[in-house]
Amino acid sequence: MSRWLFAPVALARIAWLRTLLYLFVPLDVLVTTPWVAAHDTAPASLYSPLLVGRLLEHPAPATWWVHLVQVLLLAVAVAAASGRAPRLLGVAVFGLYFEWMLIAMSYGKVDHDRFAFLVALAVLPTVGAAWHRDRTPSEAAGFAVRCVTLAVVATYVLSVAAKHRFGGGLPNWLESAVFVRAVLRRATPVGDLLLDVPWLLQVAQYGLVAMELAAPVLLVLTGRRLYLALTAYLLFHLGTYAAIAIVFLPHLVCFAAFLPLERLLGERQATSEDAAPGRAAAGSEQAGVPPGSR
Amino acid sequence: MTLSTAGRRARTAALAVGLALLAAGTAWGQDDHFPFGPFRMYATADDPNGRVLSTYLQAVDEDGAVVPRVGEREIGLRRAEYEGQLSRVVERPEVLGELAAVFSRRHPDRPRWVEVSVVQTAHVLVDGVPTDERTEVLATWTAP
Repeated sequence: MSRWLFAPVALARIAWLRTLLYLFVPLDVLVTTPWVAAHDTAPASLYSPLLVGRLLEHPAPATWWVHLVQVLLLAVAVAAASGRAPRLLGVAVFGLYFEWMLIAMSYGKVDHDRFAFLVALAVLPTVGAAWHRDRTPSEAAGFAVRCVTLAVVATYVLSVAAKHRFGGGLPNWLESAVFVRAVLRRATPVGDLLLDVPWLLQVAQYGLVAMELAAPVLLVLTGRRLYLALTAYLLFHLGTYAAIAIVFLPHLVCFAAFLPLERLLGERQATSEDAAPGRAAAGSEQAGVPPGSR
Repeated sequence: MTLSTAGRRARTAALAVGLALLAAGTAWGQDDHFPFGPFRMYATADDPNGRVLSTYLQAVDEDGAVVPRVGEREIGLRRAEYEGQLSRVVERPEVLGELAAVFSRRHPDRPRWVEVSVVQTAHVLVDGVPTDERTEVLATWTAP
């Protein structure tokens, strides 16, 4: 178990994940979920804090606070995407993004599309300096990647448990009209066509549960089979988007953790001439160690 | 690069705590326990011969124009958000007046809202096929 949990992964994969996930933050904040920022004018009478918010005695977010968190989050995320000061900036991104989530989810609706993304933001700072061409195998990197892939898989498997719990037993959920309701409430052109074939929506409910229960294979498969499986899950999410205009983008970004991103660039010596100043310590365990001091 | 024994222990312990919270949230938690609450997206079982409720706000501006489905573009709140707090809104219709003020603040160049209503549509299902639909007004706020 311990060997599986800490199976070494090249540091370059962490470098790529940092670039990708930290740059996804501005996309998320500005383009794909702009409604969070729109909570800057939400009336305090509709503020409904989560347990974490109540424990922190978090007041209803004021307009200036929402704007401040937004600006800081964008600036720190872009800085963190550079790979510099990975622990300090990584922890700051996690803290600010978590606060952003409290602003998002404290008005009566909690989304379930970004558990894996939050886990990724939490574990990325636990790995030290990592650069895109550094293929040094690292147990810390392996553990971080494992946590993200586990979170992706847990999102699927545990949602079956939730269907069983909230749907009056899984058999009852499977035979219910939940997808009809989903399509009725979030009409799209594709969804409207589906309403005419209720049996297809019913079959889709069985298909969804089968897919969610099968998710642990993602932890086992390798190579082409893994890519095929990930593509199948991606197609499911795109199909959902076509039918009800919901897509778990932050969750999908985390699929990258399954991929051998370290192969994107050829390996190069850490002291390569085109390493930027301040990056000369790439490959060493600590950032900021001056060249030649070791 | 290998981890120290302490590094491994700390990581294993953190993971165990995270997994325990997630398991507890799935078994007993609610959305309130974010981020460890149950993954309950579309986890309810709707009766194929029951009703599907869809609630939204409808506004009338000072020029008499109707805004049929108020959402994040108008007031920065998603439908699911005010729907999730429906009792709060229906019991205190003055909240609707606050939302009219929010609209004016976000869109100072557009005509003010003089009336905001909570409208609920019930789609009647027969064997999973929507047949009839009925709409009723649950609460209304009118500008004084």
